[in-house]
Amino acid sequence: MNGIHITRRQKNRLGALLRMGLNLPLVAIIILPLLYTFMMSGTPADQLYTRLFPNRMDFVSYAHVFTRTAIPRQILNSFVVAGSVTILQMITCSMAAFAFSFLRFRGRNLVFMIILATMMVPWEATIIANYLTVSGWGWLDTYHAMILPYACSAMGIFLLRQNFLTFAKELHEAAKLDGCSNWRFLVSIVIPLARPALGALGAYVFLQQWNQYLWPLLVTNSDKVRTVQIGISQLYDIDSEQIGLMMAGVVVVLVPSLSIFVVMQKQLINGLMAGAVKG
Amino acid sequence: MAQRIPAHRRSKKTFYEIIEPWLFLLPALAVFIIFLYYPFFKTIHLSTYLTDRNGVAKVFYGLKNYQDVLLGKYSGAFWNSMWVTIRFVFFVAFGSLLVGLTTSLLTTKKFPGRAFVSAIYAMPIAIASAAAAMSFKMIFHPSIGLVNRLAGTSTNWLNDPAWAFPIICVISIWLASGINFIFISAGLRNIPDELYESAAIDGAGYWRKQRHITLPSLSPTLFFQIIINIISAFQSFTQVRLLTSGGPNETTNVIVYSIYLDAFRNFRFGSAAARSIVLFIIIMIVTLLQFKAEGRSVHYQ
Repeated sequence: MNGIHITRRQKNRLGALLRMGLNLPLVAIIILPLLYTFMMSGTPADQLYTRLFPNRMDFVSYAHVFTRTAIPRQILNSFVVAGSVTILQMITCSMAAFAFSFLRFRGRNLVFMIILATMMVPWEATIIANYLTVSGWGWLDTYHAMILPYACSAMGIFLLRQNFLTFAKELHEAAKLDGCSNWRFLVSIVIPLARPALGALGAYVFLQQWNQYLWPLLVTNSDKVRTVQIGISQLYDIDSEQIGLMMAGVVVVLVPSLSIFVVMQKQLINGLMAGAVKG
Repeated sequence: MAQRIPAHRRSKKTFYEIIEPWLFLLPALAVFIIFLYYPFFKTIHLSTYLTDRNGVAKVFYGLKNYQDVLLGKYSGAFWNSMWVTIRFVFFVAFGSLLVGLTTSLLTTKKFPGRAFVSAIYAMPIAIASAAAAMSFKMIFHPSIGLVNRLAGTSTNWLNDPAWAFPIICVISIWLASGINFIFISAGLRNIPDELYESAAIDGAGYWRKQRHITLPSLSPTLFFQIIINIISAFQSFTQVRLLTSGGPNETTNVIVYSIYLDAFRNFRFGSAAARSIVLFIIIMIVTLLQFKAEGRSVHYQ
C-alpha cells in the first residue's frame, strides 16, 4: 500500500515536470515578439546591422521617443480619449442597466432587445456613414469625434444589468419607502455594490480604446489629437536609428496596456466573458 | 401601511414617474441612435447612390452598386478579396482555436509556474494590433529582421506573394490566441472532475479521456468560440494596412481593407457602402448560426 502511494506521488511529480517541459517552448514562442521588440529597442544603432544579439544595451532610443517625436503628446491624447470613453461608458451603461433591472415601464423588453441587437452590427456597416456624419459636423481632428461614438455600449449595459439583477429587489423597495429617489439609490447603493462589475467593464473598455486604430486614423489629421497607436505606426523608417526609435515607441505604448492586464487580469477576463456571452 | 404605499403609487403614476425610466435610458439611446442606428440605415441608403468626393449622395443608382461589386466592373477585385478573406478567416479561426485548445489543455493540471504560464497565454488580449504589426514588421525586416538573420537570407517576406498571406495569418492567430485560451480554459473548468475520475477507474488513458470526455463536453464552447473567431477575423484591418497594404498582388487584400480603400482612397462611398452591406449580411448569417447553435447547446444540458 505504502509503495503504491510513493509511486503515485512520483508519477505526479513527473507529470508536473512533463507539463512544464511542454509549456516552455509554447510560452517562448508566444512571448518572443515582445522580447525581440524589447531587445531591438535597446540595441545600439551601430550594432543593428552587425549583430543578432547586441553585446550591450542602451536606452537612448527611449529618450529620443520622449524628446524628438510626438509620442508624449499622443500618449496624453490616448489617455484622454480612452479615459473619457471609460468614464462615460460607466455612467451611461449603469444608468441604462439600472432602468432595465430595477424599473418597470412599458416597452422595457423591446428596447432591451433593440439595444442588444446592436452587438450584431459590425463596425464596417456603420463606419463610412459615421465618418461622413462626423466630418459633416466639422468634428474632424477633435477629441469628441473619437470619444462620443463610443460613449455607450450594448455589451456594457448587458454586463451591468446581469450584475444588477443579482441585487435584492427588497433593497430598492426599502429605499423607496425611506423616500430615497431612484437617482440617489443608483449612486449611493447600486454603484458601490457593483464595483467589481464596473471594474471589469472599465478595464475592458479602456484597453479596447487604448488599442483602437482605425477610427482615430480616419478622424484625425494632426498630432494635436492623434492617438498613440497611429503615432507608433508612423515612426517606421528604414533609417537605422529610427528602428530603435520605432521599437522603443512600441514598448512605450505596450506598457500601459500590459500593466492594466497584469493588475486587472481577473476583472478583464470577467469583462470579456460577459461581453462574448451576448444575449 | 407599508404595503399600501407601493400599491397606491402603482395606480396613480405621476408624469415624472412615467418618464423617469426614459431619462435613465436617454444617454444610451442618444449614442445608439446617432452613432449606430442612423449610420446603419445611412449606409444602406448610400449603397444605392453614387456620391461625390465628400460622400454626398448625388445620383440615385439603385442596386447598380451591388451589381458593379458582385457582377460588374469591380467584381474581379471583389471576388479576389472575398476569396482572400475566406481563406484568411478559415486559417485564423481554426488556427487560434487550436492554439487556445493546446495551451488550455496544457494548463489544466497543476505544475510550478502555472499562473505565470497562464498569464502569458492570455496576454495577447492586451496587445494592440498596431503595436503587434510594428513588431512583426521588424521580425520580417528584409535586412535586419530576426527571420532573415536566423535563416541567413535577405528576403523581403512581406513583399513576397507566397509569404505575405501566411505571415498576416500568423500575426492574427497570435493576437487571437489569448481570447481563445481564456474561453476554452473556462470551458474546461466546467467539466465535472467525476467524469475523469470514473474514466480513470475504467482504465482510460490520457488520449481516450480527451476523446471521450473532454471533446464532447467542450464541443459547445469550441463551437461558440469558432463563431467568435470567424466574426472577429472578418473584421481584421490594422495588421493588413500596416504590414502589406493589401499587397503584394492583392494577396492580402481582405474585404475590410478593400472597403477602406474604396471609401477613403478612391472616395467611392456608394460602392464601399454596398460592400459593407454585403459583408454585414455574411456576418449576420454567421451570427444567426451562433444563436441557433446556442439554442441547441442549451438543450444538451
